[in-house]
Amino acid sequence: MSTLNAKRPVGLAVGVVILGFLAIAILGASWLSPYDPLKQQVSERLQKPSVEHPLGTDRFGRDVLSRTLHGGKNTLLASISALGAALAIGLVIGLVAGMYHGSILDTLLMRLIDVLLAFPFMVLAMILAALFGTSLLHLLIAVVSVWWVSFARLTRSVVLHAKSEVSFAAARVLGASNGTIICRELLPKAISPVLIMATFELGSLILSIAALSFLGLGAQPPSPEWGSMLSDGRDHFMQAPHILLGPALFIVLTVLAFNLIGEGLRDKLDPYEKSEL
Amino acid sequence: MYKNLMRKMLWACLTLFCATLILFVLIRLAPGDPIRLLLGPPADVAMIDTEAYDRKVNELRAHHGLDQPIVVQYVSWMKRLLQFELGASIHTGRDVGAEMMDRLPVTMLLSIAALALQIVLGLFFGTVSALRAGKVQDQAIRLACVTIASTPSFALGLVLLSFFAVTLGAYEISSDAGITRLWLPAATLGLMGAPPFIRIIRANLLSELGRTYVLSALSRGLDRKRVVRHALRNALLPLITLVALSLTMLVSGAVVIESIFSWPGIGKYALDSILLKDYPVIQGYALVMISVAILIHLLVDVVYAIMDPRIGRNREADLHEYA
Amino acid sequence: MPRQASGAMLQLEDLHVDYSQNGTVVPVLNHLSFELGKGEIVSLLGESGSGKSTIARALTGLLPPSANVGSGSMTIGSEPPVDLSGKRVPWRRIRGRQVAMLFQDAQQALNPVVKIKDHFKESLLYHRLASPNEVLDASARLLAALNFSNPLDVLERYPFQLSGGMCQRICLALALCLKPAVLVADEPTSALDTVSQKEVLDLIASKQRELGLTVLLITHDIAVANAISDRVIVLNEGVIEEEGDARRVLSKPIAAYTRQLLAARAQLSAPTRDREPSREDEPLLHIIGLEKTFSRKKRVLQAVDLTLHRQEIIGILGQSGCGKSTLAKCIAGLELPSGGRILFRGRDIGRLRGRSRREVCQRIQLVFQDARASLNPGRTALQLVQEPLRYMNIADKKERENLSAFYLNEVGIVGDLQKRRPPQLSTGQCQRIAIARALVLQPEVVICDEAVSALDMSVQAQILALLQRLHRQHGFAVVMISHDIRVLRSFCHHIAIMKEGSFCEIVRAHDLPEQSRQAYTHLLLKCAGDMEVGL
Repeated sequence: MSTLNAKRPVGLAVGVVILGFLAIAILGASWLSPYDPLKQQVSERLQKPSVEHPLGTDRFGRDVLSRTLHGGKNTLLASISALGAALAIGLVIGLVAGMYHGSILDTLLMRLIDVLLAFPFMVLAMILAALFGTSLLHLLIAVVSVWWVSFARLTRSVVLHAKSEVSFAAARVLGASNGTIICRELLPKAISPVLIMATFELGSLILSIAALSFLGLGAQPPSPEWGSMLSDGRDHFMQAPHILLGPALFIVLTVLAFNLIGEGLRDKLDPYEKSEL
Repeated sequence: MYKNLMRKMLWACLTLFCATLILFVLIRLAPGDPIRLLLGPPADVAMIDTEAYDRKVNELRAHHGLDQPIVVQYVSWMKRLLQFELGASIHTGRDVGAEMMDRLPVTMLLSIAALALQIVLGLFFGTVSALRAGKVQDQAIRLACVTIASTPSFALGLVLLSFFAVTLGAYEISSDAGITRLWLPAATLGLMGAPPFIRIIRANLLSELGRTYVLSALSRGLDRKRVVRHALRNALLPLITLVALSLTMLVSGAVVIESIFSWPGIGKYALDSILLKDYPVIQGYALVMISVAILIHLLVDVVYAIMDPRIGRNREADLHEYA
Repeated sequence: MPRQASGAMLQLEDLHVDYSQNGTVVPVLNHLSFELGKGEIVSLLGESGSGKSTIARALTGLLPPSANVGSGSMTIGSEPPVDLSGKRVPWRRIRGRQVAMLFQDAQQALNPVVKIKDHFKESLLYHRLASPNEVLDASARLLAALNFSNPLDVLERYPFQLSGGMCQRICLALALCLKPAVLVADEPTSALDTVSQKEVLDLIASKQRELGLTVLLITHDIAVANAISDRVIVLNEGVIEEEGDARRVLSKPIAAYTRQLLAARAQLSAPTRDREPSREDEPLLHIIGLEKTFSRKKRVLQAVDLTLHRQEIIGILGQSGCGKSTLAKCIAGLELPSGGRILFRGRDIGRLRGRSRREVCQRIQLVFQDARASLNPGRTALQLVQEPLRYMNIADKKERENLSAFYLNEVGIVGDLQKRRPPQLSTGQCQRIAIARALVLQPEVVICDEAVSALDMSVQAQILALLQRLHRQHGFAVVMISHDIRVLRSFCHHIAIMKEGSFCEIVRAHDLPEQSRQAYTHLLLKCAGDMEVGL
């Protein structure tokens, strides 16, 4: 009668395995990639995937697979650092806003968040690209400026919930200072939901960066970066879809890995019990 | 309750004000002479005579009051905005406001169609997934969700476009905004945005099904379908936030899909303008988008206040607390 | 419905239920069998973990998916027996009409976004008990029969606008309108205050007489079982220890377990309080005209006056919602008073913030109702008791450990237990650790906010005895807050009775009830006393 109650985290395992493979492939790009990512061989341009070029070549004859492997490092490094910055900012602001809930500080921070929410990410990225020029750095600035908000709101709501719990009152009564309470009581409670959110947001971030680069607003060629490769591949999509689909495939795998890990973690920490109907 | 609404509207106006301030600051921070930005490079303005060009620049500078202190500049800029004077497009010469008003409804049409699909898919699959939690259907739905959520929208869009338009010839490639061309981009956006809806409805419904009032209703002999309907209704309330978020993302992020399917909406227009460096259009686009976002959030607050009796009566709930 | 000739309304045979938790199978009900006679009120008496709630859920088919019914057969009236372990149990026919259920938290048992009248409408129309235009009248009549003086007004409300007692009476009305054969009430009054408890129990008894209902009343409280039952079944860890006529079981128990339960209860009520200390001139704690209003007009405390002397034990008796917890929080510094003063040794501490407030924390401590929630589950007992010393930067590491070990010994947590974490300890042990933690700062006032209410009867007696001993040894004053007069009567020197935000009177404990002049106090004592007649 009882079904899956022994938690078998299949998804989590699969995600970790995929991520493992990708990590090896990308970190070892210099050794694993068959060709030099920047080397142009015009004689071999726009070749379909074959044994010599598993993902084909682009319009300059560069091997797509090699470029993808090398590009991964740039893309992932940029994404992870941007997300890390957003997470740190959001966590701190959320803790402070939640702890001092009801005070002017909290109200101001919430109003600031309201104002930032008025700038949808795409719009801000486009504005920055228009005003300051298209580059990966500008993209990352747009990311950090907007992405911290979701982390801040999650942290704040976790803190507000924790404040109503007995453990919070107990710490206050026992003489803990505000700083001690934030570090010892609130931060540990906020960390796991925030990290789970971070894995999902990382995937979402990679997709957004990819989309913006696809539109031509992100990193510019010739540097091998998944975004700029997408932009390149877009023009030749109808005749040579592999140029775009190569990096796209890697993007799907990476984001899939992070999403599976996030879901697996969330399942472990948040099981639901329901009654038979 | 009306006092509450008035307060929220006031806050919305204040937010709008602050957002435009930030926009103004960003524009001023941009490298390059703002007048030249507004006017465009000499070649584009068809003024080969550099002297005449410089004269024009100075004229515009005085006209825009750029020799004034920055606060005065801001005030006059705001005054013009409030009169809906958004300037003229460098590229076409048409009034920016008019261009926006031509294209915004087109994007809204696409966004709302996609949103409707997302809600329908979310309700159906979210409910099935919750009722069969842990079983095969649930696992399959969750796997599908995770895969779709990992796919870039442009990849899906391009693949679908090439399949239906090129391989099947069932979709017309043009720049029309016709209803016949709406289905594919709307389906793409709808499919892409469905996973969060499915996930949240599943989670909320599971949570409601474990509550005491569900057991109590069952113990009174009421049938399963009816009880699930009650639970579903309660589970849907927090969804309003997601609807707002999704709508905002659809309207602002439709750029990619509009670009692929040549759907003549506001996103594609803004993108083209960026590449053409048509700054008045970009400024107008930013303002319109900001206003739309603020309006959507305001509507969400209002809907919550109406729908949840617990909020309407003496209890304050912030949008933030439902996040 | 035709009744069985032998007089048994419900027969349960060989019920066996186990739960699967993290891969292991935990048996909860061990081949249980019992019978409910027609028109009887039978109490199922058991402590937490005895399996009593599982029985209620098994009888209505509302067990969670992790539960597994190994065997069990249920016969209701003259219907054919139902195999509870089978896949196709006809629950639709059984629930509501044959077996109805009352839940512990009545407010949660009602749909929060649906008005009361719509609850009735749905039930009545679904079971075809009234036509659409009769529904409102029928609902009003049902409510009037359950002591509602203004049924039409109540029907228009939402559950969150009504008190716990009202919600339970509404649930009772909803259950009874289907005229079930058996009513299973799962701790229907545990979440209610004394007066509402008595009201709901009386209503169950009177409706039972009127309708010839058979009632299975599940409870952990002996007084509740005593109040209205004909028979009592005593349950311990899934096994029936004893059953029989209520009067007999509760006054001359046969089984050892039952005797143990009754002894613990007796210990609770026996007066063991110490002699009153001589009152010094200056009170330790002096509260003058305290007021607390929460945002938008919710006045929780008004004109509260209280005096506490050194080594004195004062009890605060009040029902849920009267403001006693808020008073505790104001004294402990967790809430800021809106008016009035709180003087500790002559110094106004009501509005202190920051560092100075934290210094006062050393003098005034608080023990919470939910022991587990107040302890961080990731830390060992030793670490937990050291927390306040770390927060206040008192003593060095070695001394802190020694102090911690010392106080843990004082409360009876010795040896290996000191290295365990809360999830590995019982609720009673957790409360002991919380008490040790409160005492490590050597406070002068200890406030116990319903500190024993969430514990089993036997454990309650132990913890109260512990507090008594510690009070004698260390000489701190105690403010004991409870809704249960029995706890306070035997323990405190003075009892202050709180109603709607202020004290209606303060009496000496051993003068109760003779010296009390307030009607409310009499009502409270009467309700408590009525339930204990015969014990």
